[in-house]
Parts: sequence; C-alpha cells; structure tokens
Amino acid sequence: MIASLQRLADRVLGRGEATGTIPPFDGPLKPNQLLETAPIVLSLDDGEDLATDGRHVYVAAGERVLRLDPDQPREIARPGGTITALSCLPGGALAVAIGGREVRIVGGAHDGKRWTSVAGHPLTSVNALAPTADGRGLLLTDGSREHDCARWCHDLMSGGKSGRAAQLDLDGDGAREIARGLSYAFGICAAGATVVVSESWAHRVIACDDGQHGQPLVESLPVYPSRITPAAGGGFWVTAFTARTQLVEFVLREPAYRRRMMREIEPRFWIAPKLSSGRTFLEPMQGAHIKTMGILKPWAPPRSYGLVIRLDADGLAAYSLHSRADGTHHGVVAAVECEGHLYVLAKGCGKILRLSVDAIAREFSL
Amino acid sequence: MNERLLSLRYRWWPDHVVGEILSKRWTETAIPAIVLVIVAAAFSAAIPGFLSAASLADTARQACEIGFCVFGMSLVIIVGGIDLSIGSMFALTDFCALFCLDVLNWPVSAVIPTTLLAGALLGAVNGILVGYFRLRAFITTLITLIVYRAAYDLVIFRHSNQIAAAFPDIPSWNFIGGGTLLGVPSIVLVYAVVAIFGHVFLTRLRPGWHVTAIGGSRRSAFNSGIPVRRTIAQCYVASGILTATGALFFAARLGTVGGDIGVGLEVTVLTAAILGGISLGGGKGSVAKAVIGTLIVLLITNGLTTLSAPGGLNRMVLASILLIAAMIDIRWVKNRTRIISKVYVSPTYHAMPPIPATDPDSGSPFAQNDRLRNVAEIGVGLIEAPEDIILDHEDNLYAGSRHGDIIRFFPPDYERMEVYAHIGGQPLGMAFDRERTLYVCVGGMGLYRITRNRAVEKATDETNRSLRSVNDDSRLRLADDLDIADDGRVFFSEATVRYEMHEWPVDGLEARGNGRIICYDPNTETTKTVLHGLKFPNGVCIASDRQSILFAETWGCTVKRYWFAGAKAGRVETVLDNLPGYPDNINLASDGNYWLALVGMRCPALDLAWRMPGFRRRMAKRLPVDEWLFPNINTGCVVKFDEEGRILESLWDLGGVNHPMITSMREHRGHLYLGGILNNRIGRYRLADADPNFVQYDVRWGAAQ
Repeated sequence: MIASLQRLADRVLGRGEATGTIPPFDGPLKPNQLLETAPIVLSLDDGEDLATDGRHVYVAAGERVLRLDPDQPREIARPGGTITALSCLPGGALAVAIGGREVRIVGGAHDGKRWTSVAGHPLTSVNALAPTADGRGLLLTDGSREHDCARWCHDLMSGGKSGRAAQLDLDGDGAREIARGLSYAFGICAAGATVVVSESWAHRVIACDDGQHGQPLVESLPVYPSRITPAAGGGFWVTAFTARTQLVEFVLREPAYRRRMMREIEPRFWIAPKLSSGRTFLEPMQGAHIKTMGILKPWAPPRSYGLVIRLDADGLAAYSLHSRADGTHHGVVAAVECEGHLYVLAKGCGKILRLSVDAIAREFSL
Repeated sequence: MNERLLSLRYRWWPDHVVGEILSKRWTETAIPAIVLVIVAAAFSAAIPGFLSAASLADTARQACEIGFCVFGMSLVIIVGGIDLSIGSMFALTDFCALFCLDVLNWPVSAVIPTTLLAGALLGAVNGILVGYFRLRAFITTLITLIVYRAAYDLVIFRHSNQIAAAFPDIPSWNFIGGGTLLGVPSIVLVYAVVAIFGHVFLTRLRPGWHVTAIGGSRRSAFNSGIPVRRTIAQCYVASGILTATGALFFAARLGTVGGDIGVGLEVTVLTAAILGGISLGGGKGSVAKAVIGTLIVLLITNGLTTLSAPGGLNRMVLASILLIAAMIDIRWVKNRTRIISKVYVSPTYHAMPPIPATDPDSGSPFAQNDRLRNVAEIGVGLIEAPEDIILDHEDNLYAGSRHGDIIRFFPPDYERMEVYAHIGGQPLGMAFDRERTLYVCVGGMGLYRITRNRAVEKATDETNRSLRSVNDDSRLRLADDLDIADDGRVFFSEATVRYEMHEWPVDGLEARGNGRIICYDPNTETTKTVLHGLKFPNGVCIASDRQSILFAETWGCTVKRYWFAGAKAGRVETVLDNLPGYPDNINLASDGNYWLALVGMRCPALDLAWRMPGFRRRMAKRLPVDEWLFPNINTGCVVKFDEEGRILESLWDLGGVNHPMITSMREHRGHLYLGGILNNRIGRYRLADADPNFVQYDVRWGAAQ
C-alpha cells in the first residue's frame, strides 16, 4: 500500500523509478573506439545472425546462410524464408529460425526436424538459437508473443513483457519453456547447468536454472542486451543492439505521447532506440546532437550504438568494445569467436567486423 | 475535441506569468503581506472591534515600540549576526530614561539624548565584541542579555520605588507617550520617518549596500575593500539606538520599571523579523519586511490576549511561529532558484499542418538536391559562428564572430582577413544604411552601429516597457536581424523577451510568441515595439514597395509581411506558411525575389510534442537540456521565394558536411555567400544565371559614388 502510494508520488513528481536516469558507461563499460575502428570483413544489407562451429563463421543473410570463407562468402543453405536466428549444432548441423515462427534443423542426423510451437503457444519471434551444454537439445528465445522480429520497437514501445526462453529436445519431440513473461528475450546461451538469457527491455542478462526463476547475472545496463555466445577463454560475449537514452526512458513513461506517436508517426521517425541513425533530418534530434563547428560529440545521447561486452565466467563484465554516437558501426546484434578472432555483425550499418581476441586482451592488459 | 480544449486552455491561461511573478524579488515580501492580511481578517472576524480606530491607535503605539527593536534586530541579521540582548537593552534604556527624568529630574531635552546614548553604549559593547574581536554573535549577545538583565535587576532594586512614586506631568513627555499630530500618534510619525530613512539607507546608500554585502558574503565584502569589522560594530550600535528609541516611547507611555519589562522581547522581535522574511542567513531583508513582520506578531499577541488566552499559550504560539518561519526561510532560500527555474519554463500549445514533402523525388519545391555540394569555403577555422554576412560595393566581406568581432575578408580570394571592429557581443544580423554605416544586431546587447571610420556606437538597447508584461521587457535580450527603411528607420526583430541568446532552445521548447519586431528611429533616437507575440521572429527584409518588411517566424515556420507605412500601414499578412523547416534570415535576390535560409528542418516527433505542452513541461523538468527533444538544426537549406508566397527553388547540401546549417545567405555579383551560427566557415556558391553585377547596397541605396 505504502509502496504503491510512493510509486504514484514518484510518477507525479518524476522521482525514484520515474526519473529515467541511466547508469553511466563506466568501469568495464568505459567507452573506446575499438568497434568503430575494427576492420570490415564483409558488407551485407540483410545480415541477421552469426554462428560458428569452431572452424567457420556462418552468417544468416536474408533467406540465405553464408559461410565466411577466407576469400569469399559462400552460400551453403537456403531453407526458404527469412532467417531470424542461426546456430551451429554439434555434428555439423545448423539450426535456423525462419520468419521467427519456425525452428528447423538443416543437415546432420536430425535434418528437416521442425517446431512451430512450444508449450501450446505458437512461436512468434524466435531471435536466438543455441545448443544445450550436452548437445542433445536446442535453446531458443522467442522475443515477444505479440510482435514479430522486425517489430521489436513496437514491442518496446507497448511495454512488451511476453518473451520466453525454451528448450527443444533434438532426439525426441519434447519442448518446454525455461522462462516466460520476459521483457523481450533476445539472446540465449548454455552455461553448464544453467542457461543465460538476455532480457532486453529489462536491461539485464539473467541466469535461469532448471525450473527456477531467473536470477540477474548482469543488471542495470545502459544498453539493451542482445545475443550471447560463449567466449573461448570461458565467459561470454554479449552484444547490445542499441543504447538507452534518457529521452527514450522518458517517452516510455509518457503513455499519452507514446500512444499518439505510435498512431500518428512513421516508426522510423519515432523517439525510440534505433539500429542506425542520422540518415535523415526527420528523425528526432536531441540537444547534444547539434553539430557545433562541424563536430558531433561522441558522448551525445546515442540514438543508435554499437557495443560488445565481454563477460567473464562469473558473469562479471570484464571489458567492452564500442562504436559511439559519432560512429557508424551500430546496431550490433551478434558476435562470435572463431579461431582467435571475434566476428561482429553490425546490423545497423550492414557490416561484419573482425577483431583479434588477443589484441583486444592486450589492449585491456588481461 | 480534447485537443481543441487544450489549445484554448493554453491560449487563455497565462502559464508563463506564474514564473515571471515568482522571479520578482517583491514576491518574497508579498507572502508575509498575505499572511498579515489573513491574520488581520481572522482576528477581526473572531473579535468584534479588533480593527477599530481606537484599538488600532493603541496597537500602533505598541507596534511601533516593538517595531524599533525589530528594525535593530533586522539590521543586525542582515549584516549576518543576531542580537539577543535587545530585551535587556530595552529594559535598561527604559530605566535610564525614567531615572533621568524622575530621579535626576533632568529636562526632557536632555533625557532623550542620554537614553539614546545609553542604547548606543550598550550596543557598542556587542559591536566591539562581535565586530572587532570577532566573537560569535549568538554567544556574545546571549551573555550580554544575561549581564544587562542582571544590571537591570540591580538598579531597579534600588530605584524602582522612587520611579514608581513620581508622576511627572511634563507636556512634551506626555506628547511622546500619548500625543497625536493630526490624529496620528506621535510615535507612528517618528517610526515612519525612521522606516523611510531605513529603506533609503538599505537600498540606495553606500553604507546600506555594504551591510547587505557583508551579510551576503563576509569574505567577498572584505576582499572588495568594505570595512567589515567597523560596519558590523556600527550595526550593533544602531541596534542599541533603535532599541533605546523604542524604550523611550515605552517609558513615556507607561512610566514603569517592572521586573518583567523586556523579558522575552528578543523572541518576539526575532519572530517578527523572520516572519517578515528577513533571512537568518544574512544579506537579505528590507524595511518593508520588518514592518510586516512586526504587525503580524503584534496582531497575533494582541488578538490572543483579547481572546483571554493564557500568557503561556501566547508565548507558545509565538515560539511555534518562529520555528515554522525559520524552517520556511531555510527551505526557501535554498530552493528559491530551483522552484523558479521549474515554474518559469511554460510550454504552450503549438500546432502546425503536416510537414511538406522534401524527398528528392517528391516533386515538391522543397525537394532535396545536392546543389550546394560544391560550395567554396572561406575562412575555414579562422572564423567561428558567422550568423550573418554582408558585402559592400568594394566586395569586402563582413561577418560576425562569436568572439564579439566583425571580421572583414578582403577580395578577391577572401583569404586575408582583419578584425574590422570589436563589439564584445555575438553579432547577428547586419545591414548597411545609406551612409554605409553598418548596423548590427548583437545578441544580449541590442542594436549597434559601426560608422565608416570604424567607431562602434550603441544605437539602442531598450524599447518601451509594455504594460502587459510582468517581466521588464524594456531591455533588449536577443536582437536578431534587421533591415533599414528609406527614411533611415531600422526595423529589427527580437527573437524572445523571456530568455537570453544561449537559452534559445528553452524558447523553442515553449513555442510561445515571445518575440517582437522593434523600430529604431535614428532621426529621433527613439525605439518602439511595433509587433509583439511573435514565435521567434528572425530574418527581416524590406519588401519591394519600401513600405513593408518581410519577417520570418522561426518556430512558427512562417514568413509574414508587415506594413509600416502606406495604405496598409499596421497590417500583417502571411506570405509563406507551413514551411518544412525553421526560417532564418531573408535577403534580396538579384531577380527581385528573396532568399530565405532554413536553419533547420522540422521532424514529426517535435511537431507532435509541440501539440502536447504537458509532455514538454515534464521533459524540461526531468531531463537535462542535452537530452531534450530539439528542433533539428543540423540540416538546412536555402530557398528562393517571391512576394506572392511561391517557392521558386531550393538549394540543399544533401548528406553534405560543408554547410549542414545555414542561418543566412547574401547574394553578391553572381555568388551566394552562406553563413551559419554554429559553423567555422563561410560558404561561397556560384549562381549560374544570376546578375553578375548585383550588389545589394547599390540596389538598395543607389550606386555608390
């Protein structure tokens, strides 16, 4: 009772939860330009996800699955439909999500096996796939029950809380939910007995034990986390497809404005996080975005951002790679480590970047 | 329907006035004054005849006696101290007066100076200890309170009977105690004289300013050469004299030296001072506040006494009021500026039709192109913030810079430059008059001119004070652009009267008509506001009939025409409406049409926010300025239009970096020169089919000799 009154007062006065303050990029999240200056391996307009089997990097690009061979990307599969998530399974098979509504196995012993619903509810926006620790199952996140993958922004703006994480049984027909009611689940990775899931709109990564409620592993991030992949030295790579701004947090607390904005304005001109920005003057502009003497400050509130966070085995952030507000390598949705290199998919600018993990580690003197 | 109500509410309810009233200093006195009225009303309702003439006369005598003490206390508080010994001093000087009169049988003319001298000496003890020896005021005066009281008890023990037995019947003494002049009690007259002098002293005289300065910041006052110790000591002496004055009237009125005289007086006096709004922290206070505080306290004590409240309750009430007033005082002093800054910004409803298309293939006259891609650059890195540029007949290029200079670039290549004149404020719009004097609007300073021999002169920095405005709007805050009529009158825009130049985003957030068009007549040296309530009026340009000006309203996204002479004099008509961007300066084109700079472009998110004032108000309160939704001024363009309101062409730098922002453009001999207030360069664009001999000065004033 008192708590709810307090919350009401906070909302009226703009205090407490209603302030919309954002944790600073500090400590392990201290900004740098590593992602912005990283060399580009491949430019592609429709890149969606990356996966690796330890020898090659695979790219989901539109309806195709490409393999990044040293000289040339090579198409290796075309499962029919837009691919929204991709994962390599032990034994050389690929798991793909098609249109967010179907998960299919391509190649290997289970070739052709498919799922369209879990726990009685159809899949709507499957955006990440990963093998279980024992390799006999497939983990997935289904971002939202109401909106498909492309309409993630609608889900954020309508306060989406219908994401779920699930596990599919490769050998049998079993399929069960690991967690439900998530604020946009986007990214999943097995970590021993537990499963690590990104909960984007809650700005955190949670660890779900079997049948347990998710415990936050990393929380209060200044960004919206997305896919998670294992790092070779133990721990994880977590990408963040865009950063939070106080203005967006404020708009999220202004239902009247948000409703009218969603009704009257084209989505690309909304006050909302973006995978890329600065393409047209019809996008909303904030005070710090004014170019003075021809310069945009890199610390301006980012309408779009590029970030990869390295978590160590305990789930603590160790360091991070950035492309800041004045950069272009934004909208990072996937990062995989393969043969000593980190491959990063910046969807906002349609580029795949490659960084040497050793060089990064030296940079942060680890 | 909802939106209609919203627009009516913001049209007729003046939100912005609240902040403007609160930011006035007199509101600090207004609040105790309101309390006074409420207290008076409450007691006169509860007690019949509470405010009758007889009751008032009696109240007035008491009020003034205490009032003198409150003056003394206020002065000491303003200088940064406190005087707790006032009650004891009051008793001692009361005794002094009666002792001189009744026991020593001195004449009244000797009693008065002696009593005042006694007060001065008692105060001097405090003054020397606190001022020169720098003891803590609280402890020092607490000790003198006890010492003086002890002294008083000793002397009345010996002399009270003598004084009580005496019944002096001296007319002048009686006049002091109970006489009236034209129906006004004698004490009130003296009190009024002292109050008026006190007001003049504190607000107009150097020593008064010194007192306030010391109270505000003792160290700064010392550093600026004010004799801090002496001034403080003198304030305590003055407090003693003022207390003695009150005691003198008290002695004349009652003639007693009872043991309880002046007991607890310091609490009453302190309550009055704090309640009136004299800040305990020092440096803030006025005579009016002291008077109001006195009246409130007296009305309350008298009212409670009349209601036969026990004496203890009386004290309790006063003490509680003191506590509350002190609390409010501290909170108010701490939060005043914060409260004002929260209330001052008051967005209003501003709706515009949907944004016209600007896509490259939209076929609209605003369709984007990259014609400005190949603009030559002048003075890259040499000049900062050239809001406006102008060229003379000899092709010299003049531009303002944010360092407060007018920079002159020399033809033909414009690589050499010099500081043509230093003004000191950011130069904005510029225009030559017939005598080739350069008139310049300077942000924050007003309208200036630079004569042909480079003398900088102020033309005007104020206009007539309008009666409808709470803020003093006579000073020019943001003179923006100008043009000059045939008779030499200068018409210039002032973008906003509520904010300073660097606060333009706040004005954009409000989107209210805060700006105006002002006319300066150099022939009569007069300045007059001709139009007000404009939404950030910006560019000004004389129209072809020489009887009207075209002016741009930046937040209104319109260009309007105002006739200052001729048959349509005084009328305003819209020329361009619903522009896709924010119009800035307007200048003449060689083909008789006009160039208009769009400094930034509209975006749907801000257009929607402009229709939701509550959203913007909360945004202003909860987000730092850097995070606010802004008008996009990172992209702009130049358009050409005619007086019928047709857009003829537009020039863009699509996706370019050279001239993302354009605040002004000037055509000269087949080139268009571009300026931008956040740019570090001037652009020069060759116009393919323009008159290669076009010089604005020649067209405007006839070819130069």
